[in-house]
Amino acid sequence: MRLSYNWLKEYVDVHAGPRDLATGLTMSGSEVGQMEERDGDAVMELEITTNRPDCLNIVGLAREASAVFNRDLNVPRAEISETSQERMDMECRIKAPGKCPRYTARIITGITVKPCGDKIRRHITSVGLREVNNIVDVTNFCLMEQGQPLHAFDLDKLEGGRVIVREAAKGEKITTIDGEERELEKGMLVIADAKKPVAIAGVMGGKETEVTESTKNILVESAYFDPVSVRRTAHALGLSTDSSYRFERGVDKGMIKPASDRAAELIVEEAGGDIGAFFDEGALEVETPTIKFDMARAGRILGIPLETDQVENIFRRLGITVNEKDENILTVTGPSFREDITREVDLIEEVARIYGYHNIPARVTKLVPQVTRKQHQRKVLEKLRTILAARGLNEIMTYSLVSREAVERFRAISADEVGLFNPVSEQHRFLTPHLADGMLRSVAWNVNRGNRDLGLFELGKRYSREGKGKYSESLTLCVGLTGDLRKNWEEGDRKAHFFDIKGMIDTVFTGFRLEPAYERAEIESFESATEVKITGEKAGFIAECGRSVLDKYDIEQPVFIAQIRLDGLIKNTDLAHHYRSIPRFPSSTRDVSVLCEGSLPARQIYDAILESGEELIRSAELVDVYTGEQVEAGKKSLTYSIEYGLDTRTLKDEEIDSVHSRVKDHIRKKLGVAFR
Amino acid sequence: MDILSRLDDIKKDFKAELAAAAGEKALEEVRIKYTGRKGELTRILRSLGDLSPELKKEVGKKANILKKEFEEAISSSREEAQQIKARKKQEGIDVTLPGITERLGSLHPITQTMEKINDIFVSLGFRIAEGPEIETEFYNFEALNIPLDHPSRDAFDTFYIEGENLLRSHTSNVQIHVMQTQPPPVQAIMPGRVYRPDTVDATHSFMFHQVEGLMVDEDVTFADLKGTLSMFCKSMFGEEIRMRLRPHFFPFTEPSAEVDISCIMCKGKGCRVCSGNGWLEILGAGMVDPKVFEAVGYDAGKYTGYAFGMGVERIAMLQYGIDDIRLFYENDIRFLNQFR
Repeated sequence: MRLSYNWLKEYVDVHAGPRDLATGLTMSGSEVGQMEERDGDAVMELEITTNRPDCLNIVGLAREASAVFNRDLNVPRAEISETSQERMDMECRIKAPGKCPRYTARIITGITVKPCGDKIRRHITSVGLREVNNIVDVTNFCLMEQGQPLHAFDLDKLEGGRVIVREAAKGEKITTIDGEERELEKGMLVIADAKKPVAIAGVMGGKETEVTESTKNILVESAYFDPVSVRRTAHALGLSTDSSYRFERGVDKGMIKPASDRAAELIVEEAGGDIGAFFDEGALEVETPTIKFDMARAGRILGIPLETDQVENIFRRLGITVNEKDENILTVTGPSFREDITREVDLIEEVARIYGYHNIPARVTKLVPQVTRKQHQRKVLEKLRTILAARGLNEIMTYSLVSREAVERFRAISADEVGLFNPVSEQHRFLTPHLADGMLRSVAWNVNRGNRDLGLFELGKRYSREGKGKYSESLTLCVGLTGDLRKNWEEGDRKAHFFDIKGMIDTVFTGFRLEPAYERAEIESFESATEVKITGEKAGFIAECGRSVLDKYDIEQPVFIAQIRLDGLIKNTDLAHHYRSIPRFPSSTRDVSVLCEGSLPARQIYDAILESGEELIRSAELVDVYTGEQVEAGKKSLTYSIEYGLDTRTLKDEEIDSVHSRVKDHIRKKLGVAFR
Repeated sequence: MDILSRLDDIKKDFKAELAAAAGEKALEEVRIKYTGRKGELTRILRSLGDLSPELKKEVGKKANILKKEFEEAISSSREEAQQIKARKKQEGIDVTLPGITERLGSLHPITQTMEKINDIFVSLGFRIAEGPEIETEFYNFEALNIPLDHPSRDAFDTFYIEGENLLRSHTSNVQIHVMQTQPPPVQAIMPGRVYRPDTVDATHSFMFHQVEGLMVDEDVTFADLKGTLSMFCKSMFGEEIRMRLRPHFFPFTEPSAEVDISCIMCKGKGCRVCSGNGWLEILGAGMVDPKVFEAVGYDAGKYTGYAFGMGVERIAMLQYGIDDIRLFYENDIRFLNQFR
């Protein structure tokens, strides 16, 4: 909404310059954005909230200013008496009263269409309207002045002497004033003559019946159209006009006739002619509920003491009528142009915004200290992030909405996807059922810009459809590693490989004192895929991305990825620490080099060591894997370092040697391996 | 030879050899030779049993004193030798070579901003509540007094899924869940991810993050809302920041306000970031509309409350001076590494 400072001053003498007026309006709820001062006027761009259609005109804003600056408001009211009752064989009817409860039309004959006078022209152009001719300019002036959209038809072009407000039939067409031919949908409200639609009700008039230089007689419409109907029609046609914008928000039900009168008065002033018959169809009840305003309660909600005089004055300035005064209670009625005022709380807002939010003090005594220990989940996630960032990974955030291809590409790791009914683009049509796409996009983005050494992680959600109207959102960790993990002048480069991603996941679990289990798995699109289990439950996988997938992202280098759901981790993590005494007696280590088939999983040897039943074993660690000249082809040598110890005394060398050989016997018997 | 003069000889020899010993290794040899398990002094001490009582006492005392003396001398020589070695080593390396470092990762700026906001409210006594992103119309609109087919809904343009299901357009849905599951008093914040069908450009994104807050109790006033927001703004943006509330409209609060802070770039003088007017809009807030209380079954006659909400991206952009929202989701490590 545009406001001209000079125009507003015609209705209220604010005793304030444009800047102060702008501040006053902003701080009472009509936010002034840009302001341009020119030719002795100032034009302001205002943001009017959807609940205040009464501020979408100059008089409405003048009313606000009159309340803020406590000055009298002068609202122009036309008083006309119809000069002729000549109905010119016209008939006016409403066939859709639900969508148009009241329709008025006034005939004005013998006008001269020409450019409008200076004053009106200056005003309407100052608020950004185009000048057309005196008739159209007057209707626009009235729209901007007091907010009622009006439309003037060329009376002689209305066929059959009829004006009918009805719903359009399917496929009916109309060429609107902007020159566009529009096909109407069934149910859209139109104004029609005997043959055809001549206007889309509340949205835009028709080209055929518009007022032109040759027009002599006109019919001026002033009506009330149902907001929802206008809104749906305007949306469906993709057409928003000054008129539809106001009807959608609700125009002043009390202004239908006064606006018509005002227009007639100005038209005769500008174009001559005689005011003819006035058709007034339908009935529109102006509902202004009576509301009780409890001074004490209002003061309590706002946190300020209120005085009756002050409140009464605010109400009067805003057009709110005080009917009764009873100590602490005011009984009031809102004006017809304020349909947003229906409850006491609405009045409290009126008082607050004119009183000034800035005059209400701030207090902090109400805050209740409560036990707000960080929730378990939040603490787990915080720790997880800290570990990963400390291990050199950058946290990323990716869009939860992905393309169909991104879903299909990782079908093997995707549950049923959730699709959007109205996506902004095909690129973002589905809620992602995995985090692989976002990860690989981020990798590709960086690799394409020459940054090839990456360690990234995301804590995101995977979404899936679990049945009709049932969805799941599963918190998930995704880790991606690619390129050199280490690069320095002493050790050289070190390319990331499978055991780096596995190690990263191990490190994470170590931080939560959990030990995951890994099992070989076949997952389409991935190589070396390995399932990760926490306390026996499937939690996700680690793998190298397959070449065919990487090609889709134009990534040439290997990328290692892990995707782990976090519900299990969160559930099984005990963040509290429980101390166990440190062993008092030293331990000793013995190495064993197992020579076995290349295909024997190392985990089996490890398990065999721990299962060997020797209580003296404190730990076992793989320290070397060897294949090459020293061992037979197809075989490998794994060296484990086993730590032996006892809590009650120091073990003797001989004891350790004998236990160690029993452990070796167990491994040999269990796995049929040899020792080097 | 007299055993006592033998001790004197040993002392003389020890001193000579100690002086000649260069380096820790040589010192260790001297130690073993004199005070080691089979060393000269040790041997004498072990043979005391063969002597007469008087002699045993005298020799024993003298030998023990010598042993202590020798040990101290070796220890101090060893320290000296270590210092020399360290000095030599240092002279030998180029300390200007880069250190062997480990990579240092980073937390996403949105995570950091969100956690900062959360921590401030937690310190004020708010608890954190979370809720689903996939919601129903009831929680996203109806319970929040946002009617269908009304222009007020334009501000909450929404992605629909199927039927009543949609992607939440604000985290206000969590307010409803919270109030449905607990009686007043309520003092909670709701951080989370939200969606609106906007075409992506430098200032728009179809996905972003919000933190909303809710306080409900008896006699909660607009003044309390101002107090809480003022504490937040000063904690978040600095003690010197000024805050103002302007009347606005939200369907779920009444009275409603938009909250501006004095521009953090120009300190309120007016600059490009604040469009010259010295103020930055960062929050929406207001007193909870009685209709919201009705929807969750709270007694609107007994309880009042306030609610507020803010966009995390906007705050992060202001705080870090970021001018393009897309940077948050491109994950360029040159961007991410700036937030280590």
